[in-house]
Amino acid sequence: MLWPRMRRDPWWMQEVDRLRREMDRLVEGVARRPFLGFETRLFPLLNVRDKSDSYVVSAEIPGMKTDDLEIKIEGETLTMKGERKPLEAAVGASYHRRERATGIFQRSLTLPGKVDPEKVNATYKDGVLIVTLVKEKAAVPRQITVKAE
Amino acid sequence: MADQEIEISQKQEVTPEKGELTYEGVYFTPAVDIYETEKELVLLADLPGVEADGLEVDLKDDYLTIVGRTTSAQEEGESLLEEYRTGSYFRNFLVTDAVDQSAITASLADGVLKVTLPKAAKAIPRKIPITSG
Repeated sequence: MLWPRMRRDPWWMQEVDRLRREMDRLVEGVARRPFLGFETRLFPLLNVRDKSDSYVVSAEIPGMKTDDLEIKIEGETLTMKGERKPLEAAVGASYHRRERATGIFQRSLTLPGKVDPEKVNATYKDGVLIVTLVKEKAAVPRQITVKAE
Repeated sequence: MADQEIEISQKQEVTPEKGELTYEGVYFTPAVDIYETEKELVLLADLPGVEADGLEVDLKDDYLTIVGRTTSAQEEGESLLEEYRTGSYFRNFLVTDAVDQSAITASLADGVLKVTLPKAAKAIPRKIPITSG
């Protein structure tokens, strides 16, 4: 005997679906928090690279003054804060286009490993911020050579 | 305005309306501001990662073309997070004869290009004195 093609899901499957939707909704709220690996909706957008002895965090923030940038490291959390001001107050100017965003921003990022807070180096060049964080010794992978006897 | 949080925006890749770009690599459309004062038009473009050497500002047949090339060094290490892409920039604008095309100047600082387009003498508003008599 053939089963009818279209069948209603059993009641427990419907319950599982409902729970899953509920979970998705909850997770979405949490995912807005900046956390490595989650998609975030915060400025500035970051690229993070893991070099063997350091982490390199970069962000494109053109037109900043370094005085308006604040970088902090607390444990494994790197916080970038600042204000992108309009380049100049053009008094009496009328705008035809205004695509460049200005305002305040703050973003924190949790690094996957411990870093040496004394060895954090930040540079700003051509509108690109690059923060280099040297890993703590324990976090640097050690190459162990196997000796043949 | 001052306390407004910055909204993020993803870069838009250049999609030419006619023909195709024959340049190598990825080109993005930079964000620009254009404002007008009594004497000039000012164009500001965000070109993060572009050095003066890689920048071309051309004026030809009434078209102002901005090309900003970035050098993409092969980066070492493993990528943990990649929220933005890097590449070069391309955008062009039609410049009318209201601009004195011979007097256009450009400067680049902190990844922001500023092009100043002085208005042609005939486009500068003149106040006409009215005499009563």
